[in-house]
Amino acid sequence: MPTSLTETTRPGLSVGPTSEFSLFFHVKLGQEEGLREALRALQDTPGYRPGDYGMAVATIHEARFVLFDNDTRLAFVTSFDGPWDAYMEDFFTSGPTLALFDVIFRHVEGYEGLPDLAALKALIYGAQETAAAYARNYGGTVMEIRKQQRVNDAFQQVLDDPKAAEALQHRALKPLLDEAGA
Amino acid sequence: MATMVDNLTARQSINLELDDIQSGALHERPSPYVGTYLLLRIDNRAAGRELVRRLLGIVDSARPSTDSARDAWITVAFTYEGLKALGVPQDSLDSFAPEFKQGMAARAAELGDVGESSPAHWEKPLGTPDVHVALAALSPDSTRLEATLARARRALEELAGVTLIWRQDCYQLPTGRTSFGFKDGIGQPAVEGSGIAGSNPNEAPIKAGEFILGYPDETAGLPPMPTPDVLGRNGTYIVFRKLHTRVAAYRRYLQAKAKDREGAALLGAKMVGRWQSGAPLVLSPDRDDPELGADPHRNNDFLYRDDLRGFKCPAGAHARRANPRDALDNDGSVNVGLHRMIRRGTSYGPMLPEGVLEEDGVDRGIIFVFAGAHLKRQFEFVKTQWLNNGIFIGVPIDKDPLAGPNDGSGGFTVPEKPIRRRLRNLPAFVVTRGGEYGFAPGLRALRWLAELET
Repeated sequence: MPTSLTETTRPGLSVGPTSEFSLFFHVKLGQEEGLREALRALQDTPGYRPGDYGMAVATIHEARFVLFDNDTRLAFVTSFDGPWDAYMEDFFTSGPTLALFDVIFRHVEGYEGLPDLAALKALIYGAQETAAAYARNYGGTVMEIRKQQRVNDAFQQVLDDPKAAEALQHRALKPLLDEAGA
Repeated sequence: MATMVDNLTARQSINLELDDIQSGALHERPSPYVGTYLLLRIDNRAAGRELVRRLLGIVDSARPSTDSARDAWITVAFTYEGLKALGVPQDSLDSFAPEFKQGMAARAAELGDVGESSPAHWEKPLGTPDVHVALAALSPDSTRLEATLARARRALEELAGVTLIWRQDCYQLPTGRTSFGFKDGIGQPAVEGSGIAGSNPNEAPIKAGEFILGYPDETAGLPPMPTPDVLGRNGTYIVFRKLHTRVAAYRRYLQAKAKDREGAALLGAKMVGRWQSGAPLVLSPDRDDPELGADPHRNNDFLYRDDLRGFKCPAGAHARRANPRDALDNDGSVNVGLHRMIRRGTSYGPMLPEGVLEEDGVDRGIIFVFAGAHLKRQFEFVKTQWLNNGIFIGVPIDKDPLAGPNDGSGGFTVPEKPIRRRLRNLPAFVVTRGGEYGFAPGLRALRWLAELET
């Protein structure tokens, strides 16, 4: 259920524990190519390299930067576990996140540079737009999904054992046996 | 050695105006203690200002005193309605934190104060616009408390237009513990520049601006401060909550889930993160260690880095939720220093006698008191993000097993080898009886309030 707007918060829509978070900026005139280059460089950093699956912020499901309107606009779109507005100041005081913000957002209008956190906060709040619709195809936080992956990897290892079928006959393991066939 | 270094840092790095800050904000609760909370309504603006003028004579500053009579003190705080009743100009009223302006009752749904804990069931006048002024008197003994309260009574004498509307006495139980049976108030942050050492030598002092307005905070900026400067500077926001504890239900729950007394004590400790003596599970995972619990140099001297999976102290334990220390350092999403709280909680009501498993109809519990510069990212963050759900520990449906607003839907996981223990359908052991957000101004600000001419 979407969280209601109050004077103190401007949260995005949420599905279960996860909320959407989208920022829309105007690119500084003449900095389109610089921004593209910064994003190309970002894509090559740990956590952003395809297949890394390890962004600095462990509660983000995915993140994308989109240039649009002939590179005059930049969108940053992500899904986050928890209400993102509760964590804003944590991001602003986190080294890795600030460093990331700095290399990208220096190319957008309104960015005054570090370390003016009040200005940065105003910029982010001003750029945030709540989605008009939001849906998810799986439940669970990043932390839960990582745990599920670890458990499934362990389960597959068990199934690879020649004695697995015999071992899974125990009554207590029936739910696992039910998942073992395919 | 670490403690010495930290104490030095806590003293030296910033110049706090201790003479202007109210004593209660930085003064540790004595142990043992007795105390009284009084709530007042201002019906007449001039009388309210006269009250503030008189209170100026009995409110102490945070400057340490050698006079033992000063070991008892009074703190005064105002609600938003109270500041309005005093005639604080609108532009100044508008400059306060949004949550403070709304008041705790209006924040109830956000805070998880629903169902039996909802404001509709609160003890009157808590949560109503009648609450204007809160006075808290704390003392090591009843003699000094009485002397302090007598001064407060004199401040109220022949002051038509100011009415005492609520009183709550509190005292430390003979056991020195809360109604649930646990030593409390152990973990307190060191505040930079206050001269007060924190209880954990592993933690650097927290910037003064996290607790007192007008100083840099952990973001390196200044916390948003009410205007004019004279009103906001050296003030602090206060959270006051009366929390009823269901001690018999709690004891029955432990008994039902444990095989024997030792098992019940262990499960109780897993839910809290400490044994009843105060000994932390991280330092004494298998059995209580009363000597450790009683030793202020050791009973908070720990981090969670060697126990990230929670085999000693579960991630969902009350104390670990309320202050995860370094447990979330690898998450990249949380700066724990932004969510610390100065707590000045006390107990009210008599102890439920040892071994009693049925409610006796007597009200008992905890008066939770918080002081800090940021209602939203300190008290409200801890309450809503860490106590009221388990998103941050990977189990969204789980709430704090002891203090959370449990409704039977959540559970509690106790990591154990070979197989974790999972408790389900946790009931609520704490019910909110009411509460208020307040602002405890500095002494110059009190004078400014007394001299308002609107």
